[in-house]
Amino acid sequence: MSLLEKIGYAHVRHYQGGMAEWSERGAPIERSAVSPAEPALRAAPRQSHVSRFSWLERLASWPLERLIGTWLGMIVVFGVVYWLAAFGMGWSLRAGSDWIKPDLEGLETALYFSFVTALSIGYGDVIPTGALRIPAVIEGVAGLLIFGCVISKLVSRRQEELTEEIHRTTFDDRLDRVRTNLHLVFSDLGVVQRLQAEQGALPGQVLRRLESAVRVFRGELQTIHDLLYASRMEPDEETLESLLANLAICLQTLVEMHAVSLPGMDPSTSLEAGLRSVGTLAAEICGDCVPRQHAQALKNSMDQIRALARRIV
Amino acid sequence: MMKTNDGLSERGISYDELLARLEDRALMILNVMPKEIFVAGHILGSVHLPVAEIEAKARQRISNLDQEIAVYCAGPA
Repeated sequence: MSLLEKIGYAHVRHYQGGMAEWSERGAPIERSAVSPAEPALRAAPRQSHVSRFSWLERLASWPLERLIGTWLGMIVVFGVVYWLAAFGMGWSLRAGSDWIKPDLEGLETALYFSFVTALSIGYGDVIPTGALRIPAVIEGVAGLLIFGCVISKLVSRRQEELTEEIHRTTFDDRLDRVRTNLHLVFSDLGVVQRLQAEQGALPGQVLRRLESAVRVFRGELQTIHDLLYASRMEPDEETLESLLANLAICLQTLVEMHAVSLPGMDPSTSLEAGLRSVGTLAAEICGDCVPRQHAQALKNSMDQIRALARRIV
Repeated sequence: MMKTNDGLSERGISYDELLARLEDRALMILNVMPKEIFVAGHILGSVHLPVAEIEAKARQRISNLDQEIAVYCAGPA
């Protein structure tokens, strides 16, 4: 806002709530990631898929505890149904050559049969007769579906844990790499800066070393930029603070070298282009623009980086 | 900067006012976040000009210095 006012715009107003409040309150948002035709093409098959199997998807989305509870509840309800059939309905469960009786032992046998059916084991020691075959088949199908969902939940839960672990390890390695590279860039810049102070003009070999350092710095700057704006994972504030401090100190050195305009450097060289690219990217590191809320000290570091970047762009 | 009784600065714009003026062509809604964030979702009808490009491109994109501009980024400042 202050930038716009500095340029001369007289009626600038700041919407402080930003995207966070706007989307939280459900106000209209537009996205420009995909072309208008693309979502229509994708939506058609997905819609028919949802309407046909939506009940199955709803079942699969239940939490594990609810699925197990439903499965056990279903077994008990069906067991009682089999047992009630023994109260003179003409058809019932048969264990060997005997019909089950409407007593406690009969209830035990009915529950046992219900479990065996729900698990699709089918020992064949207890069998349904007459119309009782219908609930037995229904229980078999429902048992398979629910139990399948339980197993799939258990497997996917473990997979998620493993994936999370892999992401975390990769993420930590990436942060270590950024830290190491920034340290190397800083050392290289120090050497080049000393030579610049001593000799004035830089030999071609040193310029190439500087060019390479700027390229590495540009890459790590991009990583930190992505961390701040687009990363699913977030480093802790302490790590982020140290990364931003390293970034700022390298940028400060580059700004100082840029200020004496690197003797012998042609503005069209890849070094100048690299520096411009660094400046443009670093100028986007803005404490108020990043999607997450950070401590004031971190916001200040980001704003310091942006201020330094403006001296290069 | 002076604060009004709704907690906004005098030069701030509230959610309600911004929502009511979405169709108002006299107000330009300016998103200053990086391109990838803008593309992922922005206030309907926003114009995009990242912070890094304001100094270089603002005059070219917004020629009228009297243009009323509502500027926003990710969240509460």
